[in-house]
Amino acid sequence: MEAYLGIDVGSVTTKFAVLNESDELVTHVYLPTEGKPIDMVQQGLKQIKQQLPKGVDIRGVATTGSARYLAGVIMGADLVKNEITSHAVGALRYFPEGQTIIEIGGQDSKIIIIRDGIVTDFGMNTVCAAGTGSFLDHQALRLNMSIKEFSQRALDSTTPVRIAGRCTVFAESDMIHKQQMGHRIEDILYGLCQALVRNYLNNVGLGKDIQSPIIFQGGVAFNQGIVKAIQEELGSEVIVPPHHEVMGAIGAALLVHEEMAHSHEGSKFKGFGISEIKYHTSSFECQACPSLCEIAQLSLNGQVLARWGGRCDLWERSPTS
Amino acid sequence: MIKVGIPRALLYYQYYPMWKTFFEELGAEVVVSPLTTQAILSSGSSRVVADTCLPVKVFCGHVLALIGECDYIFIPAICSVKTKIYNCSKFLGLPDMTKAVIPESPPIFDIDIDINKGKRELYRAIYKLGRRFTWNPFKVRQAGIAAWQAHLKYRQLMSIHGLTPPQAIERISNKSEAKPEIPPSSPTQTQAAIAVVGHPYLLYDEHINHRLIHRLEKAHYKVLMPEMLTAEELKLATTRLVGRSYWTYEEEVVGAGGHYLESGVGGVIGIMAFGCGPDSLMMDMVHRRAARLRTTAFMSLTLEEHTAEAGVVTRLEAFLDMIQRRKRSQVEVCV
Repeated sequence: MEAYLGIDVGSVTTKFAVLNESDELVTHVYLPTEGKPIDMVQQGLKQIKQQLPKGVDIRGVATTGSARYLAGVIMGADLVKNEITSHAVGALRYFPEGQTIIEIGGQDSKIIIIRDGIVTDFGMNTVCAAGTGSFLDHQALRLNMSIKEFSQRALDSTTPVRIAGRCTVFAESDMIHKQQMGHRIEDILYGLCQALVRNYLNNVGLGKDIQSPIIFQGGVAFNQGIVKAIQEELGSEVIVPPHHEVMGAIGAALLVHEEMAHSHEGSKFKGFGISEIKYHTSSFECQACPSLCEIAQLSLNGQVLARWGGRCDLWERSPTS
Repeated sequence: MIKVGIPRALLYYQYYPMWKTFFEELGAEVVVSPLTTQAILSSGSSRVVADTCLPVKVFCGHVLALIGECDYIFIPAICSVKTKIYNCSKFLGLPDMTKAVIPESPPIFDIDIDINKGKRELYRAIYKLGRRFTWNPFKVRQAGIAAWQAHLKYRQLMSIHGLTPPQAIERISNKSEAKPEIPPSSPTQTQAAIAVVGHPYLLYDEHINHRLIHRLEKAHYKVLMPEMLTAEELKLATTRLVGRSYWTYEEEVVGAGGHYLESGVGGVIGIMAFGCGPDSLMMDMVHRRAARLRTTAFMSLTLEEHTAEAGVVTRLEAFLDMIQRRKRSQVEVCV
């Protein structure tokens, strides 16, 4: 069986998806990144190998997400793609008629506007990460409940409280204030969902032409409270596709399939064996000019594989010197 | 010889050849601060009053970099350059603000440029500045005329010959000016043209925009800038979009954005600074126009102090993908 592997290394979670030659999902893996992107890529690869049937031939690998360059070097990726394009391509595979994609991840949130199957506009949160998954995680932790419980209890709210969602610091102090006033926890949780959705629509969705069908994906789409709040705020049905949490990885796999169909060369994939190799990362401050760039490097057995992070091409050009 | 320092920030990109000519005609030496670096930006942000914008932080960093390098620093307060058109309050109070936050700065040559008060006030302001060097009003007049000529030539190098401000400044300072030839367009520019609009202090400061222009060129796009348009084109496009402009330097955002959106380029990228009030209003006008026209892809990027370039890179990659996939689907439809 020919297969294509997409890997989405995000700030909070790492996602893997394997598609067969007719672009059907064969298997997927969803792991927390825990600040160790390389380890998680290796671990995920190991799991993928176990889950795949025998005789699968990986014909192309693509990486996406904020650690896409790092993962790309480790994997020997054929394609390194930004997460906006990957998410759009993934969603359109399942819902070609979709007009708006809402994607809320761990650290960032996006909106993608689609007309006639083509991306026409997009937005991404700028300086503020309010309303993304890691804040919801943090609040669930503070209230000593799992994120699953958070999602369920938010749905039991009867009279949601008003919370300022513009800034997570203010949102948290608002939540604490309401809790100390004696409001029900369910109402506070759903109030928070509403505040985050308002913030998302006023910030990321500002000036965007949001039309249905609306697709909601990314890890936060697991949260029923947020789904309900979006539907209420937009006054429209929202579709949460199956495998929404790995949609970026699916999109990347679709893109690399497309890419390899046009290419005459074989895949650069380094094989499943790389999950056993010990990679080493380090960083240093470049002293070549007053910019003092922080250069990160990835090395294997003392040999540098890649360097990045510079303002100029000095280190990227000559990784071996 | 008196050394006059000019910070390489804010209006430097608009007027440097003019200022340099004026001071040199009056017998001064002109010193410019180096290119923006992380050290300059950090030192600037540690000084400014709370809640100011990124370009002002950069400006303060450049003033700090000039300490010990010159006898005076030239910081004009440019209130307006056209009648009934207003400038951002940060420009109005620039010399005073600098004095307040950088008390150790060399003495500041300030000058109020306010066309609203009439030409006479403008000439008086220029004479007042010139008298720091000479008591002879004819010499000041001569320096003023030479400065204006230098400015016109600078504008021409950009609008007619398609140079960017840094290229034009280099051309003028090198004196290798036998005839300004058009830079040979490299054969690798196979992709569509992308217009980048915004204030020159954002577009040409490679440190704060994370080498955006360079990245576009590396991806084989031809890059178009507001300075490559003539004053007439900018004015016409501004009028079509908003009627009469309100802000000084509105044309390089609204006019250039409108012009390029209508002229069928591959895409338009609007660059603005985090915390800039006028920018957020002006860019919205361009955004609305793009939404109404629906023919040209548009994206606005907000620059802030983030050292990580991921924000700029991811958006840029997605924007270029969007343009390419759009083009490809149009080709398929035609076939």
